[in-house]
Amino acid sequence: MPFPEDVAVLVEDVHKSFDDVHALRGISFSAPKGTVLGILGPNGAGKTTTVKVLATLIKPDTGRALVAGHDVVTDAPAVRRSIMMTGQYAALDDTLSGRENIELFGRLMGLDKKASKARAHALLEEFDLADTGKRPVRGYSGGMRRRIDIACGLVVRPEVVFLDEPTTGLDPRSRQGVWSLVEALKAQGITVLLTTQYLEEADVLSDNIIVIDKGTVIAEGTSDQLKAMTGGNFCEVVPVDPNRLTEVVGILGELVPGVVARELAPGADRVSIPAPDGAATLSEVLRRIDHAGIPLADIALRRPSLDDVFLSLTGHSNTAATK
Amino acid sequence: MAAAPNPTSATPPGRSRTKSRFEPSGFVQWKVLTARTVRTMVRKGELFIAVLAPLIFTLGFFLPLKFVMQFQGIDYAQFLMPIIVLQAMAFTAISSAQRASTESLTGLSTRLKTMPVAIGAPLMARMTSAFLRSTVTLTAALIYGHVIGFRFSAGFDQAVMFGAMALAISTVLSFGADAIGTLSKSPEATSQALTLPQLILGMASTGFVPESGFPEWIRPFVRNQPISQFAAAMRDMADGTVQLSVVLPAVLWIVGLTLVLVPLALWASLRRRD
Repeated sequence: MPFPEDVAVLVEDVHKSFDDVHALRGISFSAPKGTVLGILGPNGAGKTTTVKVLATLIKPDTGRALVAGHDVVTDAPAVRRSIMMTGQYAALDDTLSGRENIELFGRLMGLDKKASKARAHALLEEFDLADTGKRPVRGYSGGMRRRIDIACGLVVRPEVVFLDEPTTGLDPRSRQGVWSLVEALKAQGITVLLTTQYLEEADVLSDNIIVIDKGTVIAEGTSDQLKAMTGGNFCEVVPVDPNRLTEVVGILGELVPGVVARELAPGADRVSIPAPDGAATLSEVLRRIDHAGIPLADIALRRPSLDDVFLSLTGHSNTAATK
Repeated sequence: MAAAPNPTSATPPGRSRTKSRFEPSGFVQWKVLTARTVRTMVRKGELFIAVLAPLIFTLGFFLPLKFVMQFQGIDYAQFLMPIIVLQAMAFTAISSAQRASTESLTGLSTRLKTMPVAIGAPLMARMTSAFLRSTVTLTAALIYGHVIGFRFSAGFDQAVMFGAMALAISTVLSFGADAIGTLSKSPEATSQALTLPQLILGMASTGFVPESGFPEWIRPFVRNQPISQFAAAMRDMADGTVQLSVVLPAVLWIVGLTLVLVPLALWASLRRRD
């Protein structure tokens, strides 16, 4: 099959087993050039294995994967020249400064001394890190490390960027900074594959989302399409006293899907249940809670969130799955 | 927090020169990675420790044991020198292991595998910097040795053999240590695990005390284990006649270790699994 011009990543029926663990069982998807693809899935679903196959770190057992038009098995060197990958931890030399790290990557990518110095200077300016001076990366904040980490991958323009949980452990402000970086990459026509445990992040950044479970894609589409798939509205109930949440779930009985009741997080203050009949479901919920005399802080109908989608597709809440 | 980088400016300067930027040379990569490791060694004070370690060993053993040995008719400076050097070489290997495990742990090794970096360049860079460190620590050890009275009385050629054997041992141990570090991913555990055999093999060897100083039951082990073989061969190189019967076991140990440890290091650092 010819490789379509406008596709940056193409995965076709890829299988990968480690001993007797089937990590990937025929996964297939594609990412058009210049788009952001969010990859969601519970832990052990195969997200990281997928990214590693695409980054030439492991070979698929069967199937085919192309990155920027190059086969990850037969043309791995060409793939490596087209990608940049950052894992969950910033892979830097801790004893070097941010500038030295970027210069090191520039030299490794084949820039000469002068070009890599100039490139480091430009990137530090762009990433608002010009004043970090000679301090070693060891002393940087998580957000700064992450930015240096990504900057190192941009010394030579990549075609495809893999971000494996890029904002895990970052404070909200730093997370925002990484988000605008992702937007900037996309604006340059660079394709981004993003795995994340924050569904909101996938919602905001991704053009398309795939949900992986047990080594295969179980749903794909835009965030809106996925929400539509889950169907209808959700009714969110917030008791005044969060300790009475279990009681609320008990009262609502069959209205609460088993998986929702099971995966109720210990510190949760609200429960969200499908409301296929819209206002009718809402009033039924109200009637029951009223009857039990539990005071409510809030109750509302809303469109499903990605969390709801995740729960209904995989049978796990995302928080439980990523622990 | 950062403003988004200007979308147009992240295009690198050499974008049009696709050929040159897409053909990074493995030689340059090896050079750059080696330079980086050496710079780190200097900054973290590792080179200073490489110079200091043999001094501590020299003082720690020479001063207290000198007179006891003299009493037995042993010129202790000549006797002790090989084991001081060997201990220093083992220290180099342990720090190679720490470096390898740090690079595995931080994900740097993995990241380099996703880049157009020549196969084996990172491993060779680590081995090269380990070799440089060994040379520094060997030089320091020989200077301390000179101060306490050690002399290469068997001539220049044998002195070169002495140095070459020390560096060969250090290099092969560094390969093995690199493999362990790469696989273990824990710098602390790695150095602790390697210090134990270093101490046990070092102490239970004929490096510090002659075989007659050990209880009868342990003598066969003490006499035949590699550290003793190395020490004996190097002692002959320093001030005696090099005899095949003494040098051969040492050389065979080096060859054997090379055959096992070098492939192990290559496998550990080149495999694409995790």
